[in-house]
Amino acid sequence: MKEKSQVMDIDRSIYDIKDVENDAYRIKSGLTPEIIEKISKEKNDPIWMQQFRLQSLQIYNEIPTPDWGPSLEGLDMDNIATYVRPNTKMQNNWKNVPQDIKNTFERLGIPQAERKSLAGVGAQYDSELVYHNVRSEVAQEGVVYMDIESAMKGEYADMVRKYFMKLVTPRDHKFAALHGAVWSGGSFVYVPKGVQLSIPLQSYFRLNAKGAGQFEHTLIIVDEGASLHFIEGCSAPKYNVANLHAGCVELYVKKNARLRYSTIENWSKNMYNLNTKRALVEEGGTIEWVSGSFGSHIGCLYPMSILKGDNSKMEFTGVTFAGSGQNLDTGAKVVHVGKNTSSFMNTRSISKSGGISTFRSSVVVEKSAKNAKSSVSCQSLMLDSESRSDTIPAMDIRTKDAAIGHEAKIGSISGDAVFYLMSRGMTEEDARALIVSGFADNVSKELPVEYAVEMNNLIRLEMKGSIG
Amino acid sequence: MTKNILIDKLPTKTWNFLKVNSAEIQWDSEGAVKTEENICFKSGEKAEPVRLDNSGAEGYTERVVNVTAQKASKGVIFEICRGDKPLLSRVNIDLDDGAEVKLVMLLEPSESGLVRHEVRAECGANSHIHIMTIMIGGGDIYSDDNVTLRGDGARFDADTAYLGRNSQTIDYNIVAAHFGKKTESLITVNGALTDSAKKVFRGTIDFKKGSADSVGSENETVLMLGDDVVNKTVPLILCAEENVEGTHGATIGELDADTMFYFESRGIDRETAEKIMAYAAVERLIHMAEDGEFAAEAEKTMGLKTDTEE
Repeated sequence: MKEKSQVMDIDRSIYDIKDVENDAYRIKSGLTPEIIEKISKEKNDPIWMQQFRLQSLQIYNEIPTPDWGPSLEGLDMDNIATYVRPNTKMQNNWKNVPQDIKNTFERLGIPQAERKSLAGVGAQYDSELVYHNVRSEVAQEGVVYMDIESAMKGEYADMVRKYFMKLVTPRDHKFAALHGAVWSGGSFVYVPKGVQLSIPLQSYFRLNAKGAGQFEHTLIIVDEGASLHFIEGCSAPKYNVANLHAGCVELYVKKNARLRYSTIENWSKNMYNLNTKRALVEEGGTIEWVSGSFGSHIGCLYPMSILKGDNSKMEFTGVTFAGSGQNLDTGAKVVHVGKNTSSFMNTRSISKSGGISTFRSSVVVEKSAKNAKSSVSCQSLMLDSESRSDTIPAMDIRTKDAAIGHEAKIGSISGDAVFYLMSRGMTEEDARALIVSGFADNVSKELPVEYAVEMNNLIRLEMKGSIG
Repeated sequence: MTKNILIDKLPTKTWNFLKVNSAEIQWDSEGAVKTEENICFKSGEKAEPVRLDNSGAEGYTERVVNVTAQKASKGVIFEICRGDKPLLSRVNIDLDDGAEVKLVMLLEPSESGLVRHEVRAECGANSHIHIMTIMIGGGDIYSDDNVTLRGDGARFDADTAYLGRNSQTIDYNIVAAHFGKKTESLITVNGALTDSAKKVFRGTIDFKKGSADSVGSENETVLMLGDDVVNKTVPLILCAEENVEGTHGATIGELDADTMFYFESRGIDRETAEKIMAYAAVERLIHMAEDGEFAAEAEKTMGLKTDTEE
């Protein structure tokens, strides 16, 4: 039967196709000083980085696993290979990328998106970038978009060293320490003063190797008065063993700069996604997070914004869809330090087929943050009684000169709304899918149209078979 | 012998750096003077108000009151917890089907005192429990209410008002656990913090599987009036049932511009306006209690009369 749909159909299999593992090198599973030294040697790290990795491992061993949030019992680091090098060097022309890897990214639409609507693309396959390119006219404006490992060794070495894991330190939490020990791949972006990039840059992360981890590091500096939209996408085929993603994103938004960081996360449902993202915003700067979380078995993702400068701003717009076998713990954190700072969080979460969705947030207003304003709004939709939806917000306010608002709502799809749509010829499944898509439009309307379509398709796919 | 103990625990933990998962206090349970009494509201009857006075204890005191509200009974309990020594009052309430119980509390330790108050209530079908709590005084207050709406159609109302002063800590935990169908909870918390007072509010509405067609709502308004005040608010909704409606809202800050305009247009300056508003939440609850004796006790020691009323 022909499906009625508001968006074009896609084939889920594009995410689930497994390439034959044709690695050039795969480190043995586990986490020991020898393994860390081996990764460091493979990557030809500078001395300071070798030491940094070993110190991070020591911290990892000292810090306990979090006693809150989803259970991580199924994650055994002894069974995770922390470094898998694909059988190619990084290229700046898709023609030179090996056919099997290129086919994967073609299926995911990355080269097409690059041609149509992006200023530059980085594509990571397992532990290494296999493609990185930026449009010449963008490069001519002085925008730097390159793999972080080259940046660390080249003319930007001092800048990378100055900022690398200073915002998210290895002491932050256990998986930040793990990242410090085994990180590999990722991008470095520098947008010079006053440069307004009108089209986005994108990094796409694909983890193909079974039982492996991906630990890319993204470092972005948007200098004074500049602006950037950065898009991050990720996916993996599903295996019957745990995979791990513990990336790290550090964003520096300088005076009067603006950065929008958009993510469509579609990891496979055997993935532990324990990513850390943080932005430091200077005077008059703005950070905007747009986040769609659809994949992963376990997800813990709470982008954090530190509003250090006076008049700095943060907006977080997120949607989380937890289906069968998923426990997605998502939200955001903000710390107001500067005067006249403002933050706004607007999230939606959907739970279905036994999925668990948790919205977790923290708003901290320091005593120095006079005239701070914060508003948090979270709405959750329960699609059946096998699922679970929790909201766990927290506010810590330390100045009287602040205006803080919070509202949350949990409910189910209105029977009247479904009846209304069905009386106009829709099937119940389509009616429910349309309502859920509409519920999540806070995120889709903030995304470039191609990504909004992909997100709506993901929702439709998740909603398939949800009746009966 | 005093020990460090964790109380007022959040039903599910969040980030440890926020220091809101529980409160830690020193307590001497072994050395405490313990008392226990039982109260019964007879089936189908409306009982005379019961008055509990936990004032003037020496040393650590732990007092337990077991309340049985038989089928379709009605009862009101007024409880006052005062003093300059550490006091724990635990009220266990068992409401049978159709019972109605109102518990009105004044928690008012002196500056050297400490009050811990706990309510554990189990509610049968179509029963109704209303807990009204006023937290004032000078000493630290730890209040922990857990209400289980077991029977279909059970209802829980909580109205709480506080005024934190000096370096006082007010730590308030409340949990409404919905098990029965068509159960309702409504939690309303209003208060003001002055000087360097600290307050933590943990409010949880927990919809258990099977609690279809239930409704839960919690609202908090915090007026921040001191330069060194600290307010922490953690309003949780936990949901394992599809057909429910849960909402929570919080508003935290100083007097807004509209309210100030209202006062100023009537010749009332900011200082007086803040004083009026600081007391307003407590006054509202005193009036809601509809009991002259309780109102007199509440107003006796807190100096409720504002300058404009004199």
